[in-house]
Parts: sequence; structure tokens; C-alpha cells
Amino acid sequence: MQISTTFIFIVIAAAALLWIVAAFNRLVTLRNGVQNAWAEIDVQLKRRHDLIPNLVETVRGYMQHERSVFEAVTQARANAIAAGSNVHQRSTAESALTAALGGLFAVVENYPQLRAVESVQLLQEQLTSTENRVAYARQFYNDEVMKYNTAQSTFPRNLFAGLFGFSSATMFAGSDGDRANMQVKI
Amino acid sequence: MEGASVNECAKVAAIGQRYLPRDRESFFDAQRRNRRATWRLSALCAVAIVLMGIPLALIVTPLVYAAMLIGADVINYFWPLPAAFWRLADEIARFGFVALGWLLQHKSADPQALAVGAAVMLLPGVLLSGSLWTVISVLFRRSGVGGALLALNAREPNQAELKELQLADVVQEMAIAAGLPAPCVMLVDSAGANAAAIGTSAADARIIVSRRLVDDLNRDELEGVCAHLIASIGNGDLRIAFRITAVFETCGLLVTIINSPFGPQSRRVLWRILRSGLWGAGRDGGMQEAAAVADLLARNVTLDADDIDRFFDPAKKSRLRSIRNFIFFPIFFTNFAIKLSLWFFSSAILGPSMALLWHTRQYLADASAVQLTRNPDGLAAALQKLNEEPGEIPGGDWAVHLFVVSPKHSGTAAVPDARQRQVLAQAWAASEPRTAAATTAPVPADFRAMQSQFAATLRAALGGDAQAMGRIRALYQSVAAADPAFAAQFPNPDDVLSARQGNAAAIARLLASHKTGSERQSQGQSQAPNAEKPSSISAVSMLGFHPSLKRRLKRLARMGAHPDIEVTSRKAWIVAFVISLFFAPFAVLLVGLFLLLIAIMTMTSLTFLVVWLAFIHKAFTLLGHG
Repeated sequence: MQISTTFIFIVIAAAALLWIVAAFNRLVTLRNGVQNAWAEIDVQLKRRHDLIPNLVETVRGYMQHERSVFEAVTQARANAIAAGSNVHQRSTAESALTAALGGLFAVVENYPQLRAVESVQLLQEQLTSTENRVAYARQFYNDEVMKYNTAQSTFPRNLFAGLFGFSSATMFAGSDGDRANMQVKI
Repeated sequence: MEGASVNECAKVAAIGQRYLPRDRESFFDAQRRNRRATWRLSALCAVAIVLMGIPLALIVTPLVYAAMLIGADVINYFWPLPAAFWRLADEIARFGFVALGWLLQHKSADPQALAVGAAVMLLPGVLLSGSLWTVISVLFRRSGVGGALLALNAREPNQAELKELQLADVVQEMAIAAGLPAPCVMLVDSAGANAAAIGTSAADARIIVSRRLVDDLNRDELEGVCAHLIASIGNGDLRIAFRITAVFETCGLLVTIINSPFGPQSRRVLWRILRSGLWGAGRDGGMQEAAAVADLLARNVTLDADDIDRFFDPAKKSRLRSIRNFIFFPIFFTNFAIKLSLWFFSSAILGPSMALLWHTRQYLADASAVQLTRNPDGLAAALQKLNEEPGEIPGGDWAVHLFVVSPKHSGTAAVPDARQRQVLAQAWAASEPRTAAATTAPVPADFRAMQSQFAATLRAALGGDAQAMGRIRALYQSVAAADPAFAAQFPNPDDVLSARQGNAAAIARLLASHKTGSERQSQGQSQAPNAEKPSSISAVSMLGFHPSLKRRLKRLARMGAHPDIEVTSRKAWIVAFVISLFFAPFAVLLVGLFLLLIAIMTMTSLTFLVVWLAFIHKAFTLLGHG
């Protein structure tokens, strides 16, 4: 009788230990997923910075008198590169760059002869794709954050998540500037 | 992009009947539901494999024993085997007879002896099938996807061309959204619009897209299709597809091995497998070889004539032949029993359950695609467009289930060529009613948009809209004036309308025109190479491997899409249910008859085999003593 009680206790303790190991490993996997997704956003932003000078050179010849647009884009790009690794500064600078590129797009739309040039079309497609890639990288990051946060803050994992140093990650939200520029027409 | 969706809304509003789901579902919930369903259906597939395995093992096991016994006899003839071996053989035979007696005559038996008997009866067949499965898996995993790419004649996209650059970009974007390494994209220049993800696992996955699809879809729709494929890769569907194919190919290999003593064709296939397994892998030729062998094996599962029938061909008569036929007669029964049970179980049980499993994976990929794009309308519109025409891809027969829409051979509608398109477009423009120009949409330049406009008008016309009917009539007349031969391919709209009201003469005219149309099509097909070649995987299942468009669209609608589908009335469902209730007993009877036939065949083959073996064994024993 004595032996069987001890045996049951050992089995329960072993099961609990196994579960904790599994939960810990899962949290580590998810946290690495979040970090990987964050790195992916960086990769895509860098790609966008590299592409912009190309685009500006291609369309500049067609639109000599639209200096201000080009200057805005170049300036925004320089700011974005200089923003460094601070998340808040960086996201503000990147949104400014997005806005400047939007302005350039709008101007290109006003030049029908420019829209017909194939190299411009290709570049425009590349730029659209770059913007999409940044957006999708953010979306993937947010999905990963959601998975990780749910895993580390639900019962019973939350009991020991803090103990091992798992804290919740922050979502990549649109900056205040993005929302201020938005106009809802009803 | 917004412009497209606004247009879409306007179109839907003009038609006036939009499917509205009663229960909305988030894509996360849909994914969870389909993942659970995957577990259930995998269990169903496992049960189906066991169900199919029992009769197969019952047939194959005696063959294994027979081969072993004859081998032992031959060895014994030259080098006498120890007596212990023969005692062991006797023991095994006794256990087998215990199991048989329990099965056939309900003799009570010791449970332990029964268990050993069952193991004796089933184990060799199971082991044989398992090793064949391993061989097939290793072989095709090693050959990879190169053979398929060669068969499809695929090429890399040209980055300097706008549409192809767009495709490459969209695939990259979707891979980023899914957090996967971007798969390699290949283009196929074919007439059908279709796409597939091929490979054996996520590591060597390729995305195959036909050039026509890139031309037909806009960026949103292309994004939807690519998201579906990449989500499918990310969910691990390639592994599942690989296993599905391997199951059918294992069955094919089994039949091939059993046929191999009797026909050169089976021997050739076996030799090719050996060759590509031993030293053919790695080279392009080896890959192509593997794909060809896969095709041959999968075809063996169907009930086609092959080597064994040629071997016992009654047309060739000679004394020697009839003696030989008499000696090998039991094999014929065995072969037939195996083929019949393979065909029955794979097409009625295993095939459908695997098809259901595959449907679930498709729904799961759809839900994951919505998570990636957050735009269910893109995928819904793409699916609708792709299903309007057969997305035929030459060389894509061996893996029908991997394609987004079924790459079926043109059965319903011939694709009009450029000149016929022009005729149609002009006629459509001419048929536009002048008086009510405000109510109809302007004629679009795009042929595809025109097609969908035509489909909407036709639906309205059949619903009783006189104005729409007038337009269809005008279209038909102007096409007939421009190109009578082309117009003859379509039914006369007036006939269609009066046939719906029950006009017998109109129905007869319709039937006649349909007949000439299909004759013309079959003539066209016989000229085309490979037109009659059956698709291998789809031939082994009663249920198709592609879920119906309507169900997919309804599921997408629950996740927020606005597809344009007709709603089936409740009455039709009740009628279908009553009819199926009426036919259910007949179906059960048919299934029972088939099972009985298989059982009789198995028993006959077993009896003949035992008699045959006894003769041979006796002969050897006599020879040995003499």
C-alpha cells in the first residue's frame, strides 16, 4: 500500500515535470518566432531603402518640375535610414517615407505618357510589392506576437512564464501619424 | 485594387441575389475546425487501409507461403533441409487451418491458437505491403520533383515582363506573410488557367503556374491563389499528398509483382523501378523515369486489361498453351481476386476517404490563405474565374489533386479561339439594347468580363426576364450571321426557354444539337495527342479530389467574401434526400454482392492454390525419395 502511494506520487510529479518542460520549450519556440518575424520586417525595410534611389532616377527625367516630391522622398528615406533601432522613432520615420512615396505615386498617376513606359511600370510594380512586403512582414509579426502572448498569458502557463522571464511582446501598431492622415468619408 | 472590389459589388447588386451566410466564422476558427476534421479523416483513412489490407493480406499471404514452399522444395531436392524446418512448416500450416476453420465453419478454437493463426494468415502480406511501401517512398522521395517539372515543360518566370514579375513578387509577398522561405516559381505555357504546388515536402516545394492564369487574374486574385498554394505548403499538405499517391502506387506495385511472371509489360515496369532505384537517381533522366513509373503503377489499380489477360488469351490455341494454362490456372483467380478487391476497396472506401481528407486540407488552405491576404474576395473571385473553363495542363495527369482547380480534359465547353472570341465580342456589343442602356453595364473590353456579364444575363433570362432573353436572342442571331458553324455549337436560346416550359419538340431539337456538338468535340479530341489518356489518381476514386466550387465559396463567404453564387432552395435538398433514401438499399445490396464476389474469388484462389501446392510438393517428395 505504502509503495503504491509513493509510486503514484512519483508518476504525477514526473508528468508535471514533463509538462513544464514541454510548455517551456513551446514558449521559447514562440519567442524565437517573434524575434524572427521582427528581423524580417527589418529586412524588408532595408530592401525598400535600397530600391528608392532607383525609382527616383527612373522617373526624374520625365518630371523635371516636380522637384518637391523627389526632395520629400529623398529626405524621408535619409531620415528613415538615420532613425536607428529605436522602435518608436523608426516607425515614425518609416510612416513618413510611406507617405512621401504615396505622394510620388499620385504624381506619376498624373502623367499618362509616364504610366505607359514599361520600365516605369516594372518599377511601380516593384515598389507596390515592396510596400506589400513591409505590410505582410508586419502582419506576420503581429500574428506571431498574438500566438506568443496567448501562450504565455493563459492559465496555467502564466503561473511560471514570469518565473522564467517570459514577458509579453508588443504588437507593431500603426503610428499616430498614420492615423491622423486617415480621412473617413461617409 | 479598390476599384475592382467596387465593380464587383456593383455587379452583385445588379444581379440582386447574393449568398449571405447565416453564421460568420473567423479564419482562425475555420482553421481550427479543419485541423480537427483532418484528425478525424486521417483516422477514417487508417481504418480504410486496414479494411482493404485484410482481404489483400488474405490473398497475398498464401502466395508468399507458396513461393517459400516451392523454394524450400527445390533446395531440399539438392541439399536436404533439416527435419526441424519441415516440422515448423507443419506447425504454421496447422495454425493457419485453425484460423480458417474458425472463419468458415465457426469452429470454436483456443483464443491463443486463433491469435497465432491470424498472425500466420496476415503477417506475411502485411510485411510485404509494408516493404513495398518503403521502396516506393524511398524511390520517389529520392527522385524529387525534377521529373514532374520536365513532364510539365516548366520554365522560370521572366523578371523583365510586367505580369511575370508580378507573379514572382506575389509569391515572395505571400511567403513573407506565411513566414516561410519563398518557394521556387515555375511557369507553364499552356492553354488552361491553373496552378499547383508540387514537391515531396516543404523543403523542395515548387509552385507551378500556367501563363494563362497570370494573364487572366488581377493582382488581388493572383494573390489569393498564391496564398492558397503557400498556405497549403505551410500546412504540410505536400507530405499528405505524397502519402496518398504512395498508397495507390504501392497497390499498383503489388499487382505488377504478381503479374510479373506472366507478362513482359509488368517485367519491364519492375526492371525500370529497379534500374532507377539502383543507379538512376540524381540525374534528370532518372527523375523523369520515376514520374513515368509512377504513372504506370497508378494505372495498374484500375480494372484494365493487361499482361495476365494476354497470357490466358483464349484466341491463341495450341496444346502446349492449354497445358500451360491448366498448370497456371490458380494464379488467374488470385490475380483477379486481388484486382477486384483492390479496385472495389480503393474506389469505394479508400479513395473516397482520402478524397474527403484532401477536401479538408483544401478548405484549411483556403482559410489559411484568408489569414495571409486578409482578403477573402480575392481568392473567391479567382476560384470562380478558374472554374469557368477547364484548366487543362498537359503533363499534369499524374497529380491531379495538387492543382487548385481540377485540370480535367475539356468535356463541357470548347475554348473559343481568337477569331471566335472577336465574333462573340462584336455580337455581344451589337446585342446591347439601345433603349435601356442606362440599366445595363457598358460592354467591357476584356473577354473574361464579357463572359461573366453574359453568364449573369443568361441566368436572368432563364429566370424569366424578357429583356435579358431578348439580348441573348440577338446575340445568337448575330453570331449565326457571322459564323454559322460556330453558332451551331451553342443551343438555340428559344429552344432552351421552351424546353424549360415542357415543349417536347424543343427538347428533341436540343438533344440533337447536343449530340452533334459532342461528336464534333470527340473528333477534335481524337486528333489531339493524349486526349483520351485517363488521369491516374482521379480514376481510382469514386469521389473527386477537388471540393465543389460552391462549398468552397460558401466557406469563403462565411469568412467575409462576397461571392456570386446561386442559393439552392430547401425543396431541392428534400427531394435529393428522399431519392437517396430510396436508392440506399440498392446500393447496400450492390456492395454486399461485391463483397460476396470477392470472398468467393478469394476462397477459390485459395483452394486452387492449396491443391496446386500439394501436387508440386508431392512431386518433389517423390522425386527426392526416388
